[in-house]
Amino acid sequence: MRPSPQSRGLALLPVVLGVAAVVALAILPKYVESPYALQLMVLFFLAVIQGEAWNLIGGYGGQYSVGHAAYFGIGAYTVIVLLQSKGLAPWWGLFPALLLAVVVAAIVGSITFRLRGPYFVLASIAVAEIFRLAALNWKQLTNGAEGILLSGIPPLVIGGAQITDFSSKVPFYYMGLALAVVTVLVTIWFQGSKLGYYLQAIREDQDAANSLGIPLTFYKNVALMISAFFTAFAGALYGLYVGFIDPQTAVGLDISVQIVLTAIIGGIGTVLGPVVGAALLVALSEALRSNVLTDLLIGSGLVDAGSGIGQFLRDNLSHAHMLIYGVLVALTILYMPDGVLGGIKNQLRKRRSRAAAAGGAA
Amino acid sequence: MSAVPEPILEIKSVSKFFGGLAANSDVSFTMDEGMILGLIGPNGAGKTTLFNCITGYYPPTKGEILFKGQRLNGMTPDQVCKLGMVRTWQKVRPLAKLSVLDNVVVGALVRTGSVPEAREIAREQLHVVKMAHKADFLAGGLPIGERKKLEVARVLATKPDLLLLDEVMGGLNPAESEDIIQLILDIKKRGLTQMVIEHDMKAIMRISDRIVVLNSGEKLAEGAPQEVVSNPEVVTAYLGEAHV
Repeated sequence: MRPSPQSRGLALLPVVLGVAAVVALAILPKYVESPYALQLMVLFFLAVIQGEAWNLIGGYGGQYSVGHAAYFGIGAYTVIVLLQSKGLAPWWGLFPALLLAVVVAAIVGSITFRLRGPYFVLASIAVAEIFRLAALNWKQLTNGAEGILLSGIPPLVIGGAQITDFSSKVPFYYMGLALAVVTVLVTIWFQGSKLGYYLQAIREDQDAANSLGIPLTFYKNVALMISAFFTAFAGALYGLYVGFIDPQTAVGLDISVQIVLTAIIGGIGTVLGPVVGAALLVALSEALRSNVLTDLLIGSGLVDAGSGIGQFLRDNLSHAHMLIYGVLVALTILYMPDGVLGGIKNQLRKRRSRAAAAGGAA
Repeated sequence: MSAVPEPILEIKSVSKFFGGLAANSDVSFTMDEGMILGLIGPNGAGKTTLFNCITGYYPPTKGEILFKGQRLNGMTPDQVCKLGMVRTWQKVRPLAKLSVLDNVVVGALVRTGSVPEAREIAREQLHVVKMAHKADFLAGGLPIGERKKLEVARVLATKPDLLLLDEVMGGLNPAESEDIIQLILDIKKRGLTQMVIEHDMKAIMRISDRIVVLNSGEKLAEGAPQEVVSNPEVVTAYLGEAHV
């Protein structure tokens, strides 16, 4: 069955929209100078990278790693430590950082992928905690709980011309955008590749996949290594951008959980799910931090600003993002188990098959 | 002069113990290329356990299994599949959230790294089981008869030499069973060897060249279909002493 010219035109639509979105994002800093807006966009890009990276092994492969903070932390710590103590420029420091993350992923995968379901999840959390405790206690290297405050990034000079001195948010904006686009493209490639098919088969039924000639651990490991690569890249970018890392903000359980949430809320096993999830989560955490939600509750007259409850919300809701995330995940799993994007896709599929059934009956 | 063809599969004194329980004990038989062997026996006779041993899900406790002359002991299911032997599941295992076509593509990918090529192979196999019109449906939404056919298409796509079919007619209505019988006979015509577990005696008599009867983990009888059903021991195992 060949696609009709009409449907071929429709197939081009996502490409056109995608290119338009990237171009729009690329020229945005020319028109928007507000550091606050750029800050939000950098956080959004970082969340996209992490969500897409996790999606490869978690969403397509069904291996719910709640330990991706390990790879994020390896990326952040390796680049920052090498820069701060050895003076190694971050674009060189990235090589050992990414290599280390991929090697660690191969080792961790070979051990933990023997486990299935909840046992694998628990093992992934345990592994990330080992790395957090290492960052906390290996003080000569990591400066322990005090963390490392970066004293500066050397300017990037290529062929005698200075590209940037990293004094504004703009270079981070472009690095984040570029890497986010790359992870989306990698996901598109992954989805149509043998690797992607095999990971989805593993997600649906490991025994059936195995019987069809799929060596389970090998393919899970390959996907985890790609996933760890991009997660560590995001970690490195985060460390350089914020200029400060400590065990909690670079290897904490919060990071692992947020990565999983980004993918689950947006829609696991879809190319754009993590993008949607990242947009929702960054917007939500920002709304909580700046007390928009409390203002909304008070403004709508539901809560009296002067009352004890109003005061309590104003003081505490901004710190309650993990609580709200938890509620959000529960709601997503209950009412939209395939995430926001997956839910929309299911609706479309239902409508199409209903139309097909009606067409067949006529 | 060609030598006597080697058997495609040799089961040599295979035993499988779970703790003290002998699920298979000292089972031996061979299969020639192109034949259909029916594996029958009452519930709990050890038929599925034998499938699991042959395809690498359990290592046999004792004995050995040779496929195309090669010893399989210690191989994993994916390695066994690559060698050309593949099984279906008594309780069907569709990749529920993938389309029917993609389910078969997964099978085809064991022989090629190219997804477009795998899609071609998959479309052919869907034609063989007469499910081409369902290619874009989600596998999880199929009725049981079509799920069983999808299992067959999926294993055919791995280009096997030997197929092990575990109750592909279980739970089907007579018309659907007849479809499957025709499918199995078609597959035989294409030169593939098949081992079939089935409870429907009429069906198994029709399709099998040879029948092996298991009872309480042991091989009770082996022979041509007519021979086996008139064997008094087999009748006893199925119907009890009083009927002999």
